[in-house]
Amino acid sequence: MHKLFFAGFLLIAVAATASAQSSKPVHGTKPGNAAPEIRLPGPKGDTISLSSKKGKIVLIDFWASWCAPCVGEQPELAVLYRKYRHTAFKGAMGFEIFGVSLDSKKAEWVNAINKLGITWTQVSDLKFWNSGAAKSYQIESLPYNVLINGNGTVIATDLHGTDLEKMLLKIKSAK
Amino acid sequence: MKKIGFLIAAIAIAFSLTTAAQSNPEPWKPEQLLAPKQLADLIKSNAKDKLLIISVGPAALIKGSVDIGAVHDQVNLSKLKTLLLKEKKDREIVIYCGCCPFEHCPNIRPAFKLLNELRFTNQKLLNLPRNLKADWIDQGYPTNN
Repeated sequence: MHKLFFAGFLLIAVAATASAQSSKPVHGTKPGNAAPEIRLPGPKGDTISLSSKKGKIVLIDFWASWCAPCVGEQPELAVLYRKYRHTAFKGAMGFEIFGVSLDSKKAEWVNAINKLGITWTQVSDLKFWNSGAAKSYQIESLPYNVLINGNGTVIATDLHGTDLEKMLLKIKSAK
Repeated sequence: MKKIGFLIAAIAIAFSLTTAAQSNPEPWKPEQLLAPKQLADLIKSNAKDKLLIISVGPAALIKGSVDIGAVHDQVNLSKLKTLLLKEKKDREIVIYCGCCPFEHCPNIRPAFKLLNELRFTNQKLLNLPRNLKADWIDQGYPTNN
C-alpha cells in the first residue's frame, strides 16, 4: 500500500515538473520566442541591457563599421527611428533601436557612430565574429536584425528597407 | 575570300580572349585560393613558421596571424606595404579578411593587388566565400582566442 502511494506521489511530482517546464518561455530567435538577453558595454563603458527597453518595440540591429551594407542601412534606420520613436503600438509605447556592433576596434566603432550621427543605443563586446550576442542570436552574416515586442518576444527577423516599415505599420494598425 | 576568313578568325580569337579576361577579373588566379582546411592543417603542423598569415580585415582571429587592419583604409594599406617590403619576394604569404562574402569585401582586392605590384611570387588568398565565422570559426579551426 505504501509502495503504491509512493509511486502515485512520484508520478504527480514528475507531471508537475513537466508542466512547470512547458510554461517557461522558449528563448530563441524565431517569431514567438523570447529574445535572448543582451548585456553589453556601450561606447562609454556602461553596461546596457536589452531588457531595459521592455515596453517598447525594439529593433535589435546587428551591424559593424566594416560592413558596408550595414553602414548603408543606418540612414534609413535613422528615418524610421525619428518617425516612430514616440508612436503607440499594440502592447508597446514607442520604437527603439538596440544596435549591437560586431566591431573589434573601439575607435572604429565609435568613429562610425559619430560619423553616421547615430543617436540610439549602441553596445558591443568588440569581439568581431566571436561576439557572444552574435552566438546567442546565431548570426551567420551581416546585416541582420530582430524585431521584438514590448514583452521581449520576437516578432520577425531580417527585415530591411520597406519591409521593416511595413511591419511597424502593421503592428501599429493592430491596436 | 581568304581575307574574309582571316578577319572572321581574328575577330573570334579577340572575342574569346576578351571573354576569358572578363570571366576572371579578380587580381588572384584560381590556383592562388587556399582552402581553409589546408591552412588549418598548416597552422597545426610545423610548416606554420614558413608562413606569413596576414589579416587585411577587421580583426586577426586566425591563430598566429598579423593584424594589419582593414586595408580599404589607405593608412592600413600603407602599413601592409611597410610589412611586405621587409619580406623576401618568394615568402609564402596568406592574406584573409572574412568580414563578408567575397563579392562585397572591400579589403581583399587592394591587398592582393599590392602583393602583385610588389612582385611577390608565393601569395595566396584564404578562400572564405561566406565569412570568417561560417568558413573558419564554425569549422573549429585554430583562432587566437
